Amino acid sequence: MNKTISLLIAAALSTSAFADDGRHEMKHQGGDQMKHADINHDHGAEHDHGANHEHESHDHNAMAHDHGDMGMKAATISHTDEISAALAIGGAPVVVDVLGVVCDFCATAMNKIFSKRDEVAAIYVDLDKKTLSLVINEGSDLSDKQIEKLAKQAGYRIAAIRRDSEAMGG
Amino acid sequence: MRSAVLGIAMASLTILTCSVVQARPVSYAGGWTLIEVANRASTAGLVHYSPAHNFSVGLRHEWQRADDVKLTAIQPTLLVKRWFGREYQGNFYLTGGLGTAKDESPNKLGSDTASFVGVMVDWETRTLFVSYEARFLEQGALGNQSMHEARFGWAPYAGDTGELHTWLMLEVDRREHFEDKTSVTPLLRFFKGPALLELGYNLTDPSPLVNFTYRF
Repeated sequence: MNKTISLLIAAALSTSAFADDGRHEMKHQGGDQMKHADINHDHGAEHDHGANHEHESHDHNAMAHDHGDMGMKAATISHTDEISAALAIGGAPVVVDVLGVVCDFCATAMNKIFSKRDEVAAIYVDLDKKTLSLVINEGSDLSDKQIEKLAKQAGYRIAAIRRDSEAMGG
Repeated sequence: MRSAVLGIAMASLTILTCSVVQARPVSYAGGWTLIEVANRASTAGLVHYSPAHNFSVGLRHEWQRADDVKLTAIQPTLLVKRWFGREYQGNFYLTGGLGTAKDESPNKLGSDTASFVGVMVDWETRTLFVSYEARFLEQGALGNQSMHEARFGWAPYAGDTGELHTWLMLEVDRREHFEDKTSVTPLLRFFKGPALLELGYNLTDPSPLVNFTYRF
């Protein structure tokens, strides 16, 4: 019993949630916006793998970096009445590939966290696509870093973000 | 020196001690969760608040029906690690509590300080689920308890957002202080939006299982 308790305490003190050997802080050339040409994680011009390549909430073992999935089509925005209405009045579409979203509690968490933001006009978590679809109010902005941070508050991690025509599949 | 180490260990224990661990015992930052658990051993209620995505603190009330002991405790839970993947999620939690246990039986053994520590590990996809949890409870004169519980689950279909999710699960538990130390409970889990309901029946120690969770 005492040994078990000691082991549990040691584990708690030496480990932190979201610790991940394959994780790096996200940092992309060209500023704040994370640009993924598609879900297959283009290792070309848009993605700096130099010395400053730091990813947070960016899992190299995940879908966006799974080169075994080459050719998989990137998911586009989910169309709900709320999202369609927000797009119709000039909102900007954003599609976020989310890791670890396996149940409705996950969807509830993302909805609660993102819905609090004034920038967000509409939101939908799609368990089938494993995506978070957002429409950002016209004239507002929600940076990739902010989206990462909000996803983390919800308890999840993002793999990729697509905006505008990429989000619409165009 | 030895007493100092023991003191630190006990202080840590009071922070980490626990009762029964629940599925997803930590919510999103700012989220509240109501949990009700009724199984062959006890009927319990827990309300907790998560100030951060990896920590929650709550109040637990538990009635250990066989001994007619009622336990009330503060219960913190720490998400130590979460594993992410496109198709899966895994979690490792430590949880605990510190409070009082009161004997309500004719024996009238009175009240005593209670502390407990627990661990839970789970891994799930949209159609497969496996978990293990354990609890070690100390209640002084009212007796100590240990519990181990493993679950296996399968969903016949992958429900999308907002749809009804249905799971078939099998729970195997071991409680050293029970006559039937090991028991088996098949159960159904229904999951929709912020609400989760589990209904089962213990085949070894005939008794119903009714668990409910609501997140807001």
